[in-house]
Amino acid sequence: MRFIKFSRTYWVVLILIILVAFTSKTFLASKEIDFNADIKPLLNKKCITCHGGVKRQSGFSLLFRNDALAKNKSGKVAIIPGDAENSEMIKRLYMKDPEERMPYKHPALSDNEIALLKKWINQGAQWGTHWAYLPVQETVVPNVGSGPLGLFGKPSWIKNDIDPFIFEKMKKEGLSPSLQADKATLLRRVSFDIIGMPAPENIAQKYLSNNKDNAFESLVDELLISKQYGEKWAGMWMDMARYSDTKGFERDGARNIWRYRDWLIDAFNSDKPYDVFLTEQLAGDLLPNPTDAQFIATAFHRNTLTNDEGGTDNEEFRTAAVIDRVNTTWSTLMGTTFACVQCHSHPYDPFRHEEYYKFMALFNNTRDEDTYAEYPVLKEFHGIDSTKYEKLKTWLNLYAPEREKEITQFIKTGQPAINSLVADELTDAALADTKWLVLRNKGKARFKQVDLTNKSEMYYRFVSWKSGGILQIHSDSVKGKIIKTIQVDNSKGSWKINKTDIPSVTGAHHLYFTYKNAQITNKEESGVEFDWLYFTNPFPGKEKPLYDSAYAHFVSLLTPSTFIETPIMMDNPIEMHRPTFVFERGNWLVKGKTVVPDVPASLGGLPAGAPRNRLGLAMWLTDKKNPLTSRTIINRIWEQLFGQGIAETLEDFGTQGIAPTHEALLNYLSWDLMNENKWSLKKTIKEIVMSATYQQASHFNKDAETKDPYNKLYARGPRVRLSAEQIRDQALSVSGILSNTMYGPSVMPYQPEGIWKSPYDDAVWKLSEEGNQHRRALYTYWKRSAPYPFMLNFDAASREVCTIRRIRTNTPLQALNTLNDSVYLEAAQHFAQKIKNIIQTNPSKQISKAYELAFHKPITEEKRKVFEKLYTTAYNKYTSDPIQCKVITGSKNADPNKAALIMVASAIMNTDEFLTKN
Amino acid sequence: MSKVNNRIIQEANEQTTQQITRKYFFKECFSGIGAMALGSMIGGCDWLGSKDGMGSYINSNPLMAQAPHFVGKAKSVIYLHMAGAPSQLELFDFKPDLLKLDGQDCPQSLLEGKKFAFIRGVPKMLGPQVAFQQRGQSGAWISDHLPHLSTVADEISFLKAVQTDQFNHGPAQLLMHTGSARLGRPSIGSWVTYGLGSENSNLPGFVVLTSGGNNPDAGKSVWGNGFLPSVYQGVQCRGQGDPVLFLKDPAGIDRDIRKASIDAINEANKLSYEEFKDPEIIARMAQYEMAFKMQISVPDVMNINDEPAYIHEMYGTQPGKACFANNVLLARKLVEKGVRFVQLFDWGWDSHGTDDANAIDIGFVNKCHSIDKPITALLLDLKQRGLLDETLVVWGGEFGRTPMQENRDGKTMPFKGRDHHTEAFTTWMAGGGIKQGTSFGETDEIGYSAISGKVTAHDMQATILNQLGFDHEKLTYNFQGRPFRLTDVNGRVIHEIVA
Repeated sequence: MRFIKFSRTYWVVLILIILVAFTSKTFLASKEIDFNADIKPLLNKKCITCHGGVKRQSGFSLLFRNDALAKNKSGKVAIIPGDAENSEMIKRLYMKDPEERMPYKHPALSDNEIALLKKWINQGAQWGTHWAYLPVQETVVPNVGSGPLGLFGKPSWIKNDIDPFIFEKMKKEGLSPSLQADKATLLRRVSFDIIGMPAPENIAQKYLSNNKDNAFESLVDELLISKQYGEKWAGMWMDMARYSDTKGFERDGARNIWRYRDWLIDAFNSDKPYDVFLTEQLAGDLLPNPTDAQFIATAFHRNTLTNDEGGTDNEEFRTAAVIDRVNTTWSTLMGTTFACVQCHSHPYDPFRHEEYYKFMALFNNTRDEDTYAEYPVLKEFHGIDSTKYEKLKTWLNLYAPEREKEITQFIKTGQPAINSLVADELTDAALADTKWLVLRNKGKARFKQVDLTNKSEMYYRFVSWKSGGILQIHSDSVKGKIIKTIQVDNSKGSWKINKTDIPSVTGAHHLYFTYKNAQITNKEESGVEFDWLYFTNPFPGKEKPLYDSAYAHFVSLLTPSTFIETPIMMDNPIEMHRPTFVFERGNWLVKGKTVVPDVPASLGGLPAGAPRNRLGLAMWLTDKKNPLTSRTIINRIWEQLFGQGIAETLEDFGTQGIAPTHEALLNYLSWDLMNENKWSLKKTIKEIVMSATYQQASHFNKDAETKDPYNKLYARGPRVRLSAEQIRDQALSVSGILSNTMYGPSVMPYQPEGIWKSPYDDAVWKLSEEGNQHRRALYTYWKRSAPYPFMLNFDAASREVCTIRRIRTNTPLQALNTLNDSVYLEAAQHFAQKIKNIIQTNPSKQISKAYELAFHKPITEEKRKVFEKLYTTAYNKYTSDPIQCKVITGSKNADPNKAALIMVASAIMNTDEFLTKN
Repeated sequence: MSKVNNRIIQEANEQTTQQITRKYFFKECFSGIGAMALGSMIGGCDWLGSKDGMGSYINSNPLMAQAPHFVGKAKSVIYLHMAGAPSQLELFDFKPDLLKLDGQDCPQSLLEGKKFAFIRGVPKMLGPQVAFQQRGQSGAWISDHLPHLSTVADEISFLKAVQTDQFNHGPAQLLMHTGSARLGRPSIGSWVTYGLGSENSNLPGFVVLTSGGNNPDAGKSVWGNGFLPSVYQGVQCRGQGDPVLFLKDPAGIDRDIRKASIDAINEANKLSYEEFKDPEIIARMAQYEMAFKMQISVPDVMNINDEPAYIHEMYGTQPGKACFANNVLLARKLVEKGVRFVQLFDWGWDSHGTDDANAIDIGFVNKCHSIDKPITALLLDLKQRGLLDETLVVWGGEFGRTPMQENRDGKTMPFKGRDHHTEAFTTWMAGGGIKQGTSFGETDEIGYSAISGKVTAHDMQATILNQLGFDHEKLTYNFQGRPFRLTDVNGRVIHEIVA
């Protein structure tokens, strides 16, 4: 952005001089061709479909410079820098033979286009870096002062450094800013934007009666510290994290992962710096001595689907989850569509096929294996178990510190265990429902490459139905040395954890399990079923004081009773490492060469000292040199506040995405976030809402209508429909029934019958009680195969994969929802009662009050008449029909005033004004 | 292309242009709005020349009828999906040789390198569990499980060698309906509605009806809009409760009150429009008016009680219940009213033999009986109304069943059943410009592998789009930086069955 560093006027003058001096043609000749602005769009449009990352016809690809300058299959060089005439690419543009002339079977390029390409080649055929891949630089605020060289006063409209960027562009397009919105409108707008719902009454009144200059700033500060802030922004993040209370796929059973949602709320409320926020979610488990909260943060990437359908290949769905983590990391955190690189090099952007798998390798060593129980899970102990755990930990720390980490990790996470579903070479054995290893009489199974070095005990979780079973463990082959014989208990059909000593063996060996039980005569009857195996050493410190009670705590904590489980990320120990392969054409069954974990070369390598794992990935992602991370979150915050991103395609900052309307502003804010604001999102949000740009009135004027219908130039304030969450929260809040309870398992507000009909899952929607049915929308139970209908109607996605951006629609189903859903009728009833409690009888005053409660401003005469008409119609109807009157008010006494007020309340809550952030 | 066809396309293109110039339209339509009564505003601003009396808001509606790439033979589609995957070997793919092998061990050659959902070790072969006969002029083999359908065999084009690469229900259903085995893509009905819009402004363009007690295994994503705007998602109409969620006014609110409340909402909105001049406000007013109309039109179309007795008899309906026969009759009513895509899912076809309800010789037979009469009635009824030519009826599951008897976990099953099978299964199409009485594709002598005329889900999708007038390679939507299409990078129109 060289232009910005100098005064704009200076350049205008200079350019004018140039224009006068040369004809336009000679001017073009002397102009330095800009690859990004002039060439890349042309190549993308005309060439890259056949000569890009997917197809490389004749071995020629225009994606990377070194590829494009290389000899292609015909032995010719398509592009010779400095020599357009002899470049095969240019020659081909001129040929007459339709088989030879490019673009093949498409219209020829225009003379101007060819001239442009020739000049570019003659100037050296330099490849530029796309704006989003350039480092974020400190950006100078444009000087929009008046007078020569902009030395005189800035327009009084400008409030902070955001505004000159907006003003400059707006002016260029011949638009002027709108006036500041009125106080009530600003109150409502900024409340929805910061806390996702109307401001609590006390905060609202304080602002409305505050006439000081800094009244708005005080309001913003107060909203930013209120607890509801975290709920609003967590709600946004849950779309990106594909948060759901169920596992997905056919059975779509329940998943306990709400602790992650609560972690998000707390993280936003405490304004956890964004770099730390990302690091903990991607690699909290890899931080030194991770806390429970840091483990729970990693549930971000445990929101992937788990497939419980019988007959599914667990490795296939483990792989699918890993792939989803890669794609989600790129699209949510870096605004880049990486998914296409799974099958081939990126068609348009500088990412090679192999780089996908290098990146995937960073994620490919987590312990999860599509198990039914979604291992690994973190247990947070409560009550008595928490006390036991603390006592055990202290004891270990005192008497066996070298074992403390391993033992507490096993107690808390059960890891690193071998899941029984990895067993193979099954004879008279099977994976029950493809989930657990079952051995029948004379059954055999193998566990590959188990490292028993320095291990002398095995814990195993199992279920059995018969006594008399004998399990033998052979090493190296099914007839190999028997290293252990175990009498298998009859657990009478319940899961149980047992332990056995085993001889210590050096190195990794295949372990073969064989099972015999003379009591089983039916060939097909199950003998024993395993969940997992865990190899360790005896509990330490037998000779130490209080050993007995410490050991008792340990044993009891293996099957605790008061705890919450959350799926988390944990990496494989070194002996369980998986190699990562390139999947040919994206097919996981066709494995190509092995790759080492890495990030794409075009975005700079891992920072010095970064490990090649998720922690290294997080370090790279949050490094100030990463060009995408800060831009992506700034763009997203902007989108939350203005209804559209500075770059509209939040999901794609690549060359095929829509270019940012205010690139310099995006850079400015991104730099600020990392440097001035130290990754504080609250400071960034405050900076934006304090701008004059944000505070404008949102009325369309004539200019807006013709020159800027979609408000890309921000000559007016944002006016967009509220999100699903905001609509629900507002209705409950205005009517006074919103519960302010935070956190905890998801709740079930009223939902019509018959929404949940998943095969093989008998879970039911059970209406929550005691105010829990009136919690904020983000606490609503989310079932992927049948999400809460209201959320879907108002444009939420089902969260099977991450939702980068909700596309707003306007449908009759939305109208039906807010008119007829019991939730909204109930809200209207309470709203009506709330009004009646303030003003008992006078309908006109009641209506005015209702409007005031909804919008914090007086109703206009015209609008009041509209609602009075409705009131009168309804009042007459319900007076003449006391039975219906009792039904609508839900009371024993016919109160036509209340009935009519309910209709008015419902109507107000259905107006565009109410459903929209004005 | 005939003159008539040219004219149709031209008209449709004009409509599309109107939609594009929606901004302009609002301006024209609503200048001086203050003087206009609400009724006339909603009644339509059709003085600009919209021929079918569609109100202005319809033109602002993304669901406005639009022109396809060329003139298609079908105007609408009824897609009957048997969720769980019915056995082709007991319905359409007659294999006398398999009967001879019944009870014998499956040869190793069929098992090597293969992966099954539940079969482990060496299963036994299982012969067809029903007698077959050739039917009609075309001589199509149809089993005795479908006596009614056998009478209309000559209307149908069978695809005998359909293949898939997904052997689990969820992913296979997704592949069938969204072109991808993974979640997140738009369903075929959404693509069609995105491409064609809706012909009836009072009804959704894409309606889904389910029966069999469960939603399909893949959940609502098989009628989801994926990355397309949510306005194109399938609207599930229900046989019990509100036919469309929240359609019914709450108890205590009658039509007059509802009318008064929507009038008030829209009058207030009109005042907001005058204040803000935001065209979205007008769009919202239109949606409220449409919601009001849908409250009448949907229950009306969803009510089968007014159909004559002989129609009920023909379809074998069970009024008041949620069942497949009722849904098939509803499907006919819906396409008659201009709904583009009616998607039926009937759950319960997963005949593993783990219990009697999913035994191939018990539960499966009952399922066949429950669809035989209604589907036959649908073809005959559409025909007698002159609608079969322009309505494409598609029938199928998400994969086929093995010629081997399932031996889950290597055990003998309590009942006879077949495992999931990806390599060959049968689907069929009828009406909507599809050949009558033909069959395409062949399987080997035991129905294990397809040997000729292989087709995939993408081919079926390409064909369905073709019948509606779309080049499946050109019906695209830009998402995540590239144009996506239903058929991904595959798909071939099955010209062999196109009339």
